[in-house]
Amino acid sequence: MSAAGGSLPRYLVQRVLLVIPMILVVLTLVFLLLRVAPGDPVSAMFGGKLDAAAMAQRRHQLGLDQPLYVQYFQYLGEVFRLRFGHTLSDNRPVIDVIRDNGGATLTLTLGAFLFALLIGIPLGLFAGRRRDSASDVVVRLFGVASYAAPIFWVGLMLVLLVSPTGWPTFGIASAETQFTVPTRTHILLVDAILSGNGSAILDVLQHHVLPCFTLGLLLSGVFIRLVRVNLLHTLNADYVEAARARGIRERYVIRRHAFRNALVPVVTVLGLQVALTLGGAILTERTFNWPGLGNQLFVYITQRDYAAIQGLVTFFGVVVVVVSLLVDIVNALIDPRIRY
Amino acid sequence: MKRTRGLLAVSSAAVLAAALAGCGSSGSNGGGGGAAGNGQSIVLGTTDPVTAVDPAGSYDFGSWNIQYNIFQRLMQVAPGQSTPEPDAAKSCAYTDPKTVKCVLRPGLKFSNGDPLTSQDVKYSLTRNIEINNPNGSSVLLGSITAPTPANKPNAPHKVAAGAIETPDKNTVVFHLNAPDQTFLEVLTTATTSIVDHKVFPADKLLPDAKAIGSGPFTLAQYKAGQQAVFEANAKYQGPDTPKVSKVFVQYFNDPAPLKSAISTNQIDIAWRTLSPTDLKDLAGNSKVSVIRGKGSEFRYWVWQLSTPVGKQLAVRQAVAQLIDRNAIAKNAYDGTVTPSYSIVPSFFGSSNDAFKTKYGAPSVAKAKAILQKAGVKTPVTIKLGYTPSHYGPNTVDEANELQDQLNRSGLFKATTASAEWTQYQTLYKQGAYDLFILGWYPDYLDADDYLTPFLLKGGFYANNYDNPQVDKMLSQERATTNKAQRDQIIGQIQNTTANDVPMIPSWTGQNVAVAGKNISGVDTTLDPSYIFRFWVLNKK
Repeated sequence: MSAAGGSLPRYLVQRVLLVIPMILVVLTLVFLLLRVAPGDPVSAMFGGKLDAAAMAQRRHQLGLDQPLYVQYFQYLGEVFRLRFGHTLSDNRPVIDVIRDNGGATLTLTLGAFLFALLIGIPLGLFAGRRRDSASDVVVRLFGVASYAAPIFWVGLMLVLLVSPTGWPTFGIASAETQFTVPTRTHILLVDAILSGNGSAILDVLQHHVLPCFTLGLLLSGVFIRLVRVNLLHTLNADYVEAARARGIRERYVIRRHAFRNALVPVVTVLGLQVALTLGGAILTERTFNWPGLGNQLFVYITQRDYAAIQGLVTFFGVVVVVVSLLVDIVNALIDPRIRY
Repeated sequence: MKRTRGLLAVSSAAVLAAALAGCGSSGSNGGGGGAAGNGQSIVLGTTDPVTAVDPAGSYDFGSWNIQYNIFQRLMQVAPGQSTPEPDAAKSCAYTDPKTVKCVLRPGLKFSNGDPLTSQDVKYSLTRNIEINNPNGSSVLLGSITAPTPANKPNAPHKVAAGAIETPDKNTVVFHLNAPDQTFLEVLTTATTSIVDHKVFPADKLLPDAKAIGSGPFTLAQYKAGQQAVFEANAKYQGPDTPKVSKVFVQYFNDPAPLKSAISTNQIDIAWRTLSPTDLKDLAGNSKVSVIRGKGSEFRYWVWQLSTPVGKQLAVRQAVAQLIDRNAIAKNAYDGTVTPSYSIVPSFFGSSNDAFKTKYGAPSVAKAKAILQKAGVKTPVTIKLGYTPSHYGPNTVDEANELQDQLNRSGLFKATTASAEWTQYQTLYKQGAYDLFILGWYPDYLDADDYLTPFLLKGGFYANNYDNPQVDKMLSQERATTNKAQRDQIIGQIQNTTANDVPMIPSWTGQNVAVAGKNISGVDTTLDPSYIFRFWVLNKK
C-alpha cells in the first residue's frame, strides 16, 4: 500500500490477464460437461428415425467420432480466432446467432434494470425512512418475495392476469412490425426508432413491458434491501448527525446527505447483478417467447447442439467476466484501498 | 446528478417524440409488395423448429412445411388424400417396376422468373444426394443413390450412374436401383422439392432467407427462430392458388405462450404442438375453435427381445392380450387419440387390425391361458420404459396406465423407468427395459413406411427381432406393382407381427389445430400428411 501511486496500472493489467484463464476454465468446463452427458446432437435429432449406420455416418460428418482432444483443440482454435463455428442443428454461424438474438437480450436486461431501479430505489428509501413501521415490514416482505419467487411463475401469473386486456404477452413485437421494420442494428427497438415508424415503436415498447417488468421485479428485491440498509447506515453517520446539529431541516438532511450516499453502493451492485440478470433472462425469455440468447440457448440445449451451446455459454461467460472486470476497475478508481 | 437527469429527460423526450411523430402511420410492406391474394394476412404459431429452408438440409416438420409452401415437387398429396397426384408434373408413372417417367407441366416458372425445367429437377435431387447434409433427408432417395462401398461407409454420396435422365426440358426419367413401389410417394416429400439451379449452389446449402421456389408462396422474410413471412406468389402456375396475400409463421419454443397467444387471439392459428390438456381447455374457449383431422402419428410399445422377459413369445403375447387401448386413449390422452390395432394405421386400405383379430377384447383369462400353456411362472416381473418429454407430457400417463393394467391382472409385476430422450435411446438398445414406448411420424403416406423401418432386421430401434420370412415379404411388397397383391402381402406382414409381437401398436394421433372463429380452410388441410397448406386458408 505504501507504493499506492504505481499500483493501479499493475492492478489493472493483472485483472485483465486473469480474464484469460477464467474464460479458458469456462469453455473447458462447458466442453467437457456436454460430452460427459449421455447422447449427442445426432441422437437428439434423429434418434428413433434412422438406423445405426445412418446415425454413425452423420456423426462422422459432424466430426463427433474424432478423439475428444482433437475436438477440444479444434474448438479452442475456433474460439481464439474469435469464431465460434456453426450450429449443428440449424447450420448457422454461432456469431450470427449472437448478433441476431443478442439485441433482444440486451433490451430485455436494460429494461429490467430500469424497472428494478424504478421499483427498488424508491421503495428502499421509503422503507429506510420508516424503519420498523408497518410499511417498512410490507416493503421488506415485498423485497424478499420478489427476489425469492420463481421468475417463470411470476411471468406466467402476469401473462394470465394481463392477457384478457389484449396487452401483448409474447414476442418482441407483432408479426407485422417485425416484418416492416428494416434490420439495421439487430436491436429491434433501435431499428424501430431509426425507421421513424411511430406505431412500430409503440408496438415494440408495449411488447417490452411485461418481460422487462418480470425480470426487473427479481432485481428490485435486491435493490430494495440494499438501499434500505444503506439508508439506515447513512442516517446514523456522523455527517448526518452534524447536519442535524446545525439545525438543517430533517427533510433536507435526508434528501441531500443520506439519500445520495445510500445510492453509491447501488452502482457497484448493478454490475454484479449482470450474472443474475442473464440467468433470469433465460427463464424470462422462455416464458414470454422472447427471441433472445437465453431462449436460443435453451433450444440448443434440448437439441444437444455442442457448437451452439459452447459458443453461447462462452459468450455469456465473457460478458460476465468483462462486466466484473469493469466493476473492479471502477471500484479501484473510486476506492484506492482495493488496489492490492 | 443534474446532468444525468437532464440526459434522461432528453432521451425520453426523443423516444416519445419519435413515437408520437409516427403514430398512426401505417406499417409499410417491406416485403416487396405486389403479392397476389385477397389482401388479408394470417398469423400462425407453431413450436416446430426449422433446421433449414434449403430442401437439401432438413428432415423435420418445421422445415418441410416451409418447403411445401414455397417449392413445387413432381408429385403432391392433395388435402385428405393419400395417393400421390401430379404437382409440377403433368404426369408421373411407372413404365416398369424400376423405371418412373415424369412429364412436367409446360411453362412453369420460379418466383424470380427463371423457367423450371427437367434440368432443375435433376439438379435438385443430385445436389441433395451429393451434399448429403447431416441434417438432411437424402436418405429417402436411396433408390437413385449409388451404393456406398462396404469398406468405405463414409465415402461421398453420388447419384447412381444414369439414375436420372432428362431427354428433353419437360421430361425426367428415373431408373431405380431396385423395384420400389414407394418412389412416387417419395416424390411428394419436401426433400424432392425443385430448386432453381441458377440460385442454389451445387455443393452447399443456400442461406435460408435467399430461398427461391415455384410454389404458391414466396418466402418474403425469414428470421431464424422468430418468424417466417410468406407472400402469395404472383408467378405461381398451378391449381393451388392462395386465397390470402400473406401468412406469418411465428415460432414458439414452448407450448405455454403458444396457448396463451391463441386463446387471446394474438395469433390466428396454433398448429403443433399443444398438449391434450391444453386442447381440452381451449375447446371451452368461445374465441377459438379446436379443429381435428386424421393424423398419422403412431405410438407403440417395443419389446426388447434380448432381455429374459422380452425373448419369451408367450409373455409378449400375454401383454398384447391384456393391453386396453381404449383406456389408454381415454385416461392418458383425454380421448384425443385413436386406438391402433395394427402396425399399419387404419387410414391405409391395407390395414387389417391384425391385433384385434388375433387377441380380441382385453382379457385376463386369455392372457393367463397363454402364459400357463407356455409354462411361464406368474407374476412376471416386467420393466416398462418411457421418456418423459420427447413425445409430450402425456407419455408418463400412458406408461402409468399400462403399468396399472398389467398389475391389475395379477399376472405381471410391472415397474416403470424413465430417461431423457438422448439417454433413453442408449438404454433401450442396451436392454434396460423389457418393453419401451416409441413414436413415429411417416416420411410419406405409404404402408411400407410403417413396416420396413420397424421390422427389417430388427428395425431402427434394434430390438433384436429378426424374421427372415418378414424380411422377404417386405422386399416383395416394395417390388409388387399389382395393388391387390401388394395389399395382400402387407396384410400377411401385419398378421405375422401380431403373432410374433415384436412390438404392440398403441394409438394413432390426430392432426389438431386451434383457430380463430374468422379463419377458414384449416379443416381442409388437417390430414395424415401433416402438410399445412397455406393456400387453402382464408380469413373472413
